[in-house]
Amino acid sequence: MNFLSNKYFLILLRLIVGGFFLYASIDKVTNQEAFARAIYNYKFMPDFVINIMAIVIPFIELVTGIFLILGIFLRGSSFIITSLLIVFIIALSQAYARGLDIACGCFSLETVTEKSDILQRIAEDILLLASSIIIFIKSKIIREKQQ
Amino acid sequence: MKRSLLTEILIILIISAVLGFAVNSVSPKGIPLFENYSDRFAIDSSKAKTKSAFKERGKLNKDGFYQPVNIPVEAAKELFDANVIFIDGREPAEFSEGHIKGAVNIDYKMFKDKTKEEKLEILKNFPKEDIYVSYCSSDSCEISIDNAYEMAKIGYNDVKIFLNGYKEWVKLGYPTEK
Repeated sequence: MNFLSNKYFLILLRLIVGGFFLYASIDKVTNQEAFARAIYNYKFMPDFVINIMAIVIPFIELVTGIFLILGIFLRGSSFIITSLLIVFIIALSQAYARGLDIACGCFSLETVTEKSDILQRIAEDILLLASSIIIFIKSKIIREKQQ
Repeated sequence: MKRSLLTEILIILIISAVLGFAVNSVSPKGIPLFENYSDRFAIDSSKAKTKSAFKERGKLNKDGFYQPVNIPVEAAKELFDANVIFIDGREPAEFSEGHIKGAVNIDYKMFKDKTKEEKLEILKNFPKEDIYVSYCSSDSCEISIDNAYEMAKIGYNDVKIFLNGYKEWVKLGYPTEK
């Protein structure tokens, strides 16, 4: 797996994952109300954390997306993105399994998601998860070499 | 300078939280930090079975409008039989595939972004004093709730939410049309 150690490959992954997160955050950062409803619809989180999540998560996506693209705090950003993706995958999977008709709140908050779209989102998130794990491991190795 | 992973994570989370709370406090779509969501889904079906659905009207709340109330299917049927108007909040395409007989399609996605005047214009043929029943496909679509609140906020004083919606209506074999 030689290409994994290619530094341009790492940059490409950072741009893809960072770009995705940046794009995903745009509709949500100014629309807390709709995102809170989207989270609520997953019927997955207790009420008292829903609004806090709706206020903070879009900005975590925004900040980590920008950091990943610019190469700032790579380990921290990729660690957070990895954790978020795991939560998203669990949330989407349980919604899919329970057959909820939900607006996933992934990108645009207006679109009501079809069941097939949920599967597509899960697949996307798994690819992003793999990428962010690679970024995390690689940035850790690069850092250790620098020290 | 040696930064631990934990420090990086904390810095990112703090930046995000500060930005998030700051933007939320100035955003027109900002939300309170805590909200009780349980009211949205509460259906007092025990009450609805023992007394007529007509009497179950919401209270005037602190925001100055009459709170829409959730009703179970029995109450919805009772209102249907009394020729109460049903408001279907789904998109026109879904509506045309089948809806509760006689229901009016007010597409929530289109409706919610209108000004108060435009909303009143859309509803001009529907007197504010009447009872209305708002529904969508099922309890997981929630448009029924949102549409009912949109109507209540512009002065409709007695809007019911038939939360279980079209799916349950069809399941029970009640009248539908295309």
